[in-house]
Amino acid sequence: MSAPTAPPPARVDEPGPPAGRVAELRELSKTTPGVLILFTAALVLVSVLVGVFTAVTVQSRAQALDDLAGSSGPLSIAAQDIYRSLSDADATANSAFLAGGLEAADVRARYDADIAQAESALAVAVAAREPADLADPTGPLAVLSGKLSVYTGLVETARANNHQGLPIGAAYQREASSLMRDELLPAAEQLYRDETARLADDQDSASSLPVVEILLGLVALGVLFFAQRFVRRRTRRRLNTGLAIATGAALVSLLWVLIATAGVAANVDASRDDGSTQTDVLARARIAALAARADETLTLVARGSGAEFEEDYGKVRDQLTGDRGLLEQAASLASDGAVRDKITAATANLRSWHEVHVDIRTADDSGDYAKAVGLTIGRGDDSAAVRFDKVDTNLREAIAATTTTFDDEVSQASNALTGTVIGVILLALVMAAGSVAGIWQRLKEYR
Amino acid sequence: MTTPTTRRAIALLVAVLLACAGCGSTTDAVGERETPTGGPPSPAGAKEVTSLPGGEQADTSCDPTASLRPQGTLPGPNDLPLDSTMAKIRQQGKLIVGVDQNTYKFGFRNPITGELEGFDLDMAREIAAAIFGDRNAIQLRVLVSAQRVDAVKNGDVNLVVETMTINCERRKDVEFSSVYYQAGQRVLVKKNSGFTGIDSLGGKKVCAAAESTSLTNIVNSASKPIGVEVPGWTDCLVMLQQNQVDAVSTDDTILAGLAAQDPFTEVVGKPISAEPYGMAIPKDQPDFVRFVNGVLERMRTDGTWTSIYNKWLSDLLGAAPAPPQARYRD
Repeated sequence: MSAPTAPPPARVDEPGPPAGRVAELRELSKTTPGVLILFTAALVLVSVLVGVFTAVTVQSRAQALDDLAGSSGPLSIAAQDIYRSLSDADATANSAFLAGGLEAADVRARYDADIAQAESALAVAVAAREPADLADPTGPLAVLSGKLSVYTGLVETARANNHQGLPIGAAYQREASSLMRDELLPAAEQLYRDETARLADDQDSASSLPVVEILLGLVALGVLFFAQRFVRRRTRRRLNTGLAIATGAALVSLLWVLIATAGVAANVDASRDDGSTQTDVLARARIAALAARADETLTLVARGSGAEFEEDYGKVRDQLTGDRGLLEQAASLASDGAVRDKITAATANLRSWHEVHVDIRTADDSGDYAKAVGLTIGRGDDSAAVRFDKVDTNLREAIAATTTTFDDEVSQASNALTGTVIGVILLALVMAAGSVAGIWQRLKEYR
Repeated sequence: MTTPTTRRAIALLVAVLLACAGCGSTTDAVGERETPTGGPPSPAGAKEVTSLPGGEQADTSCDPTASLRPQGTLPGPNDLPLDSTMAKIRQQGKLIVGVDQNTYKFGFRNPITGELEGFDLDMAREIAAAIFGDRNAIQLRVLVSAQRVDAVKNGDVNLVVETMTINCERRKDVEFSSVYYQAGQRVLVKKNSGFTGIDSLGGKKVCAAAESTSLTNIVNSASKPIGVEVPGWTDCLVMLQQNQVDAVSTDDTILAGLAAQDPFTEVVGKPISAEPYGMAIPKDQPDFVRFVNGVLERMRTDGTWTSIYNKWLSDLLGAAPAPPQARYRD
């Protein structure tokens, strides 16, 4: 009696009567070598698929991380910069009109710096988009790039008239300021919201569950398991070295991807919780503080008909310091001692700024306009300008800290993926080679 | 050995690789671009007006310029009658006056000093001086034209001195002093524009401050111009300079102030209406009205009116005319 291991009589594959490929395969699967050949083919196919698809999904994860580090991260910062510098430029240009006479050199320098920063951040934001994104003339980028030059033109006309002592300068300044508040700032805010949403999308896709990778890995392991069981049953050999190596490679590949993506997910979650979420709340707080400062200045520029600005100041202040206000949210989110300290300082400085604001309103309402203006734009420690700048500095530093955390976490996440693409491709090749070699060894016995 | 299966596998692999090669390089298509519209924005609050009540069928239900006669001699700052409105104002520390910051030479913000000044401001300071003995005992509240009546009616200010035309409609809500300046409505256009007055501006855009008598006169004039309202008079000049309107029409005094800021404009046409200016005072303060009229009477006779006119207006409008005569209904 021949042992099961003995090669059965080899069947010669004769080109029979017209047979379809399915029939051909069915014929093939009736013989052991045929099954072995089918397994080889399946294993090679699965190896290639596992290698390619795992590499592609890992690559897209790496791409999302690259976007976080090089595109959506910096772009949300750029959008924030655009809003901040435009808002500050307008508040500065308006306050120059409070002082009387020519604006001080440092006030002018601050305006120039704001405009330069807004323009460079805008250039970055525009360059990162496809040209088609700019086709809609009402889109935020189109509005910003179209109207910023109109705004600066009006401000310069206002200055030129002001230099000649003509009151029409103030009218040009009002026109400029209303363009800023009605069109430019809302567009900048929209841009900021768009960019922040993109950032969140990139974070989501970078930290998504590696479902495809896991499924492919399991399929590879499954096929290898059945191949080995078949070979063991037909050949009574416990271990087929080639297939064992292939299984090892598949396991390592799956584990590598799992560990790497778990690391990425942890880093990306940290980049969200310790970074971008806090940055967003802090940035909105900074924007609100700027709006409050602009309101404070415009109330005085309007000389008695600025009730709407004072009302807006109250609203913005509530957003900042009210119950569950932005500063309170920022403080409860803060995960870093230094950031928390900055927020505490900002809250204290905001309070002392508001004290001056109350004095300003009292002075202005009781007719002491000169005192009100002095408190608003003076450079002494007791002026609203200096105290507002302190709040702004606190928030800027807190934002810088959370942004650094974000960058660090994203770059760590990128490191976690380093070599993974090459690794899974090499392991897939090892798997394919191991499978072919292992089965070839058995197949030879049929010769 | 090239079985159909391996051939298919290779085909699939090639397909996948090709798909991946393609995913990195999308072409940067420049989309259809709509031509953006350039140009300046409109000043805040600017809008077109094509019809307003009043105007041609002017409200003649009253004798608008007849005010209340001053009684006896004008009391000095230190012997104001007890319980009089003036005594109460003195107690509040300052005279609160609604003024303009956009009318060159009448009420405007001097860009060099940042202070509000002009003919109207000096008029108001004379009233403050009569109550407090101090021309600077004055608290200024800037009002756009549309806010003037309500500010007086609600008691937000003691007085409005802001190129305010006396008419019957406003008299329903506020009392007026005697006439302190007599103006007439004309038209400001760009030089060489070919416009000669309101009659040549049919269908053209003509700017005026919201809720001013000028706007009503524009919209209701026979040639049917399109009215454009803005908050302040300088906003009109901005729109004229930016070619957003074809003309500005209001009192010759205000137009002279605008023309002085732009040598490429000129005032044209005959006056289309008489615009007597008065100081607006709350209706329930006849004692204060009589007091203010007393101060105005003194200014007409002692040369104060003429010197204030010369200080602000003679450069724009030539030598001072005689001060407008007061009319009283007693």
